[in-house]
Amino acid sequence: MKTPMVWFFIALALLSVFGGLFFGAAELSVEEIYHCVTRHCSQSVNEIIFWQVRVPRVAVGFLVGAGLAVAGATLQNVYHNGLADPYLFGVVSGAGLGASIATLLFTGSATVESEILSGLASIPFSIALPLSAFLGAFFAVIIVQILASKLFGNRTEQLLLAGVAVSFMLSALSHFILFSAEPFAANKVIFWLLGSLARAEMWFVWIMLPVVSISVVVLWLFGRHMDAMLLGDESAKALGVRVNLMRMGVLIICAALTSCIVAYCGGIGFVGLMIPHIVRNWLGVTTRILILGCVLVGGVFLVWIDVLARVLVENQEIPIGIITSAIGSVFFLLALNKVRR
Amino acid sequence: MLDVKHAAFQINNKHILKDVSFNLPTGQILGVLGANGAGKTTLLKMIAGQRASKDMIYWHGRPIESLSHNEKAKQIAVVNQFNHNVFSLDLEQIISMGLLPHQRLFSRVSAQQKHTIADALAKVGLLAQRKQAFHTLSGGEQQRGLLARALVQRAHLIVLDEPINHLDVFYQHQILHLLKQLATARGLCVVMSLHDVNLAANYCDTLCLLNEGQMLAQGAPQDVLTETLLQSAFKTPCKVFPASQQHALRVEFLPHSAPHIDAQFGQDNLI
Repeated sequence: MKTPMVWFFIALALLSVFGGLFFGAAELSVEEIYHCVTRHCSQSVNEIIFWQVRVPRVAVGFLVGAGLAVAGATLQNVYHNGLADPYLFGVVSGAGLGASIATLLFTGSATVESEILSGLASIPFSIALPLSAFLGAFFAVIIVQILASKLFGNRTEQLLLAGVAVSFMLSALSHFILFSAEPFAANKVIFWLLGSLARAEMWFVWIMLPVVSISVVVLWLFGRHMDAMLLGDESAKALGVRVNLMRMGVLIICAALTSCIVAYCGGIGFVGLMIPHIVRNWLGVTTRILILGCVLVGGVFLVWIDVLARVLVENQEIPIGIITSAIGSVFFLLALNKVRR
Repeated sequence: MLDVKHAAFQINNKHILKDVSFNLPTGQILGVLGANGAGKTTLLKMIAGQRASKDMIYWHGRPIESLSHNEKAKQIAVVNQFNHNVFSLDLEQIISMGLLPHQRLFSRVSAQQKHTIADALAKVGLLAQRKQAFHTLSGGEQQRGLLARALVQRAHLIVLDEPINHLDVFYQHQILHLLKQLATARGLCVVMSLHDVNLAANYCDTLCLLNEGQMLAQGAPQDVLTETLLQSAFKTPCKVFPASQQHALRVEFLPHSAPHIDAQFGQDNLI
């Protein structure tokens, strides 16, 4: 573990969270932000901008980046495959499907009325959305596991291919549901495909914070078991690791982590794939340090990518997924070139 | 004490292993010999608790299957033929994995455990390479590294699947010599599969010769390594030179072009 680097990233994370507060459509001076944090903003409109727009946005950005990076890192380690990430297991599209259904049911877009629906209406939307996304992600995980184990022999490569197929199938299904029931379907589809932090509110933070924190801590505790899995299943079993249970547990935790993020911010690609590789180069490959590094680097990365999304084009926001995908694809070409050399 | 009682294993009604029995006292090395597909790896996996072995394999009187995952890991270390290493861990990180069965979720690596790791590294002669990426080590160094992990695991039974495959003569002798030393000094049971019958004769206390899943012979090297048994197991003629004061028991497999083979099989059949 490279301790000075860890401290550098902790400092960078604190600075980034603070720095992210300065960027946005409205101009808030350093002095004004200082006032907002310590007492009250000088104008009531700034109070709203600061506490209801900027702070939740930066906090959600950090949590999303940290959560997606940790999910990608742990999946890569337990499947000892550098290409594993929540997208490849159908988790993101499953969560998208669950969230789409919840959105339609709870925002009144669905025309079907029944007792079940009116019963559902008593559950607050803030809880129903991530819950429904999790059920969708869980459903995807189960389908992928069944397909891989019953049909393709449970090898990692087959599992990932089954994940890709299920992912496309569930995306198609959620897009179809949106197009048939939602008047502004195109906007929703773009949201699920490219993601956005534009809708971030403070209650997102209060739901995401415990989900991300608990998931990260639980995954961190089992870091040594995941390390043992890096040398292959047989090697891990010989060290007392219950490989299948471990893998299923990690997959379910990652499904919870990812679905909570996808429910509020849509699908943001490449973070779970790219950040773990960067952290391995900078901080180390063992799982515990990798998880810590992913929280810090993933969080910092998404805070600044979101700043870019806000300021790159004047008076308009670019969906965050466009920037992460653009950077991610270049990153992978560079990484491939490095591997070739 | 390892007891194997009528071990059998089948996949899709095909017998991979049939009625194999032997026992191995502590402090001894058992070599498992046999042609490709004879059932060596299956037998090793059953002993390591990685294949179903209901009431067939006993370790100190207890069926292997009755041990919990963690208990098993404390008792049995496995050195496999092939290991994934996708994210280039260094040697020390791999060796410290051997601590896992002795650690709790919240526990930190103690000073004593660090000492155990350094001790194991020194034992296999890899102290200088401890921070080197595992995949950049030579085959012999990797094999010794995995052996060091088994030592850190503090297991009493070490199972090795062809531990000297792909190693040059120097490392072959070095690893087998190390195993011999450890078995004697620490009272370990060592079970390994080997292809080289001469090395087996040199380093193993007892041998088990498998043929098509069945036990052909078991016992001391001089009882197992006979011309008839070896020819029957490897389908290749051989000559056995008994141990003398100058050298240990030696087996020489004869090239297929030798005149007596042509006479036995007919030259046309070989082309």
